[in-house]
Amino acid sequence: MEKLFLLAMNGLIWGLIIALIALGLAIIFGLLDIINLAHGDFFMVGTVLAWATLQSTGSFWLAFIVAPFIGFILGALIQQVVIQPIRNTAMLSIVATFGLSLILQESVRITYGPTPGRILPPIQSTIHLFGVDYEVYRLFAAVVAILALGGFFLFLQHTKLGTWMRAVRHDREIAVAMGIPAGRVYILTFAIGFALAALGGVVAAPITTVDFRGGVDILPFCFMAVIIGGLGNLPGTAAAAVLLAFVEGVIQSVTDPTVARIASLVLMSAVLLLRPQGLFKGLTR
Amino acid sequence: MSAKAIERSLWALFAAFMIAVPWIIPALISSFWVSVIAEILIWSLLAASVNLLFGYVGLLSFGQALYFGFGMYGVAIGIQDLGLSFWPAFALGIVASMTMALVTGIFAVRLTWHYFAIITVVFSLIFYFLALTNKWLTGGDDGINFALPPTINIGGFNKSLTDPIFQYFFVLCTAALCFLLMHRLVGSPLGKAFLAIRDNDMRARLIGLNVYLLRLIAFVLSGFLAGVAGGLFAFFGRYASATYMFYHVSGEAVVWAIVGGAGTLLGPLIGTTLFIIVREIVSTHWEHHSLIVGTVAILAVMFAPKGMVGLWNDFISRIAERSGAPVGAVELRTEP
Amino acid sequence: MSEPTLRTEGLTKRFGGLIAINNLSLSLAARRLHAIIGPNGAGKTTFFNLVSGLLQPSHGRVFFQGRDITGLKPHQISRLGIKRTLQIKSVFPQLTVAENLWITRQAGRGFLHPFRAATSDRQTRETVERTLAQIGLSSLAGRQASTLSYGDVALLEIAMAVISEPRLLLLDEPTCGMSPAETERTVSKIRELSRAVDIVIIEHDMEVVFEIADDITVMAQGAILACGSPTEIAADERVREAYLGRDEDEDYVEDAAHA
Repeated sequence: MEKLFLLAMNGLIWGLIIALIALGLAIIFGLLDIINLAHGDFFMVGTVLAWATLQSTGSFWLAFIVAPFIGFILGALIQQVVIQPIRNTAMLSIVATFGLSLILQESVRITYGPTPGRILPPIQSTIHLFGVDYEVYRLFAAVVAILALGGFFLFLQHTKLGTWMRAVRHDREIAVAMGIPAGRVYILTFAIGFALAALGGVVAAPITTVDFRGGVDILPFCFMAVIIGGLGNLPGTAAAAVLLAFVEGVIQSVTDPTVARIASLVLMSAVLLLRPQGLFKGLTR
Repeated sequence: MSAKAIERSLWALFAAFMIAVPWIIPALISSFWVSVIAEILIWSLLAASVNLLFGYVGLLSFGQALYFGFGMYGVAIGIQDLGLSFWPAFALGIVASMTMALVTGIFAVRLTWHYFAIITVVFSLIFYFLALTNKWLTGGDDGINFALPPTINIGGFNKSLTDPIFQYFFVLCTAALCFLLMHRLVGSPLGKAFLAIRDNDMRARLIGLNVYLLRLIAFVLSGFLAGVAGGLFAFFGRYASATYMFYHVSGEAVVWAIVGGAGTLLGPLIGTTLFIIVREIVSTHWEHHSLIVGTVAILAVMFAPKGMVGLWNDFISRIAERSGAPVGAVELRTEP
Repeated sequence: MSEPTLRTEGLTKRFGGLIAINNLSLSLAARRLHAIIGPNGAGKTTFFNLVSGLLQPSHGRVFFQGRDITGLKPHQISRLGIKRTLQIKSVFPQLTVAENLWITRQAGRGFLHPFRAATSDRQTRETVERTLAQIGLSSLAGRQASTLSYGDVALLEIAMAVISEPRLLLLDEPTCGMSPAETERTVSKIRELSRAVDIVIIEHDMEVVFEIADDITVMAQGAILACGSPTEIAADERVREAYLGRDEDEDYVEDAAHA
């Protein structure tokens, strides 16, 4: 029972973090029509930036500002240099982002090193919950993730930029005709997507490991959330991420993590196949 | 000189070079490079399987490593656990990957575009994790090592892949046969139907093509190519491992095919050659060769969206135009 | 009395709450050139989509030469001999004009040879050459379809319909967007074709309709408004009303039908 509680709780919190990353993936997918294979690595860069901030300043907390900021700048740069020139050939973007993924991983391997490392949680205390000594930092991570998710949705609903992003996603041509600078929206979308993933990386850094391959595992999971939540449905994506991680956590309490992962992959294929969008794609012309 | 004539003489030159490799290359560089070329040929078949789907049918699969893995494990398990000899083990690998392609294809080809790319990754991940956990069968990350049975054993005559020259020619012949089949396929009515589906799948339905069935056929054929590649790779390394079923392997094959030139016969071979040679040269001096692979991939899609073959065709047609000869490069059509 | 080429019984198609085709029962006699006209959103293209199998009806049945074809897949319907063109010109852009015809000709067969060269089939080659000459595209045979002019693409579409030896041809606004000269050329091809094949045509250009049609069906809001010879239709009061008092909201139905 304690084990179930622990793993379910861990899953829930992990899901909230994944939701942050998956939202970044979802807006990039929704607005730019790009399958971003480097998105897991954006997360990984976040964990490394958290480590770097801790090393150079001695403060982990600073990373909550530094990492999303650097992520934002990197995202804007990458969009301008790599994505913009190939925007009208969506399929090529898979190749480009795959290349990007290799570059990011290898750069981290050169600078950070090939061996996975750990960051100690900045809050060391535990709290007694349902017969388990639960780490306070994990609860803190959940709060940060919820705040960031809430902040992102408020941003989409109530700022000019957020409205632009929704407009471009809805219908690009009409948005452009209405005078919305689509080019700038694309840059900001990619930048925000990277920043969200980097923030997720900082939040997760003390829970998981800092490793140049850290994004590889995250990526399929984020895609699952985006697909199961429904393409273009951002609240759905967030909900799916939480649900998936929670279910995986629960399954993990009775079996090993890999079997739990296989179960969620099977679940995802079922959702993909039963969704009609893919089936009738050919008719929209 | 017309484009046709240039092409024909290049083909002859290429064939002569490939046959002479085991003697020229050790003399010029070292015998190590003979096995690099054999490896290029093997991997180019995996890239060709991506190309058959993407370049000719318009479906981007990110899960070809799954069928590569089945070919590889079919051979390894066939020899190690079932005690099969060379040819039955090879056949087992190919049949296993085609069967797997059929079973997964029945579901996958119901989807197109992004959805197809994602579901192929998902399928390959499922089996990757299964291979990792079922160590009793697959050896997991450590893999299976096995001893090579003889390829030919008639009477006293005994040949096996342990002879490097024989191994090279075995790989060369198998790859050449596969590319020849691809060439015949592309020019055939079935190949034209594939192209029609790639170009406009709704129109293809309206002229009476069974789009679903044709996509499934293409998927199984690409499973065949990936399976042959996987089987050859197992023989080549006397080894099979779950690592080769990870989606990074599929991703690399996609990069090779597109950088070389999707929708062209030799594009995958050219792309694979480029990347593996870069890897082999750089990795002896510098361990971070993925940095270069990544950069080349990005530069290639930015500056040569039709791939190396696309660049070459543009170059050829410019020469032909200047000399006033008609352009006849129909076979080397590009464009995904 | 011979079997009608195309007959529908109570054909209905809903998109969510919108009714695109409402309980449509019609019967088109053989050996005639039928035109379907009507304001935007009358459900004409949806009707074609239902007949050719791209959409499945919510209710009702479709019969082709007496055979129930409701629920068949597009390629199955195509193989029965119902061929159609699309409102937005639709060919295989990366293939050459000749290849477009090749594949259209060979698509009707159950078996596509995987390894023999497509060009080695002499019968098909001759048919392709004959059709190219008949439609007047011989000089463009080797050109990639994506490089053709708009009018030539439209002719290619018609050539593709012809080479598949249709028993019923559905033409969706074949002259849409054409110059007067191109329209004239297309119209004369259609008239030539109609001697051998049953044709149903959707057309907005009334001049064209009244010039070539034997029978006209007027549709409005998913139902038949009037049916008759060109002279009868021209005199019909209700038809005039339908064209003058057009309801713009109906455009959504047509949009939904294309989605």
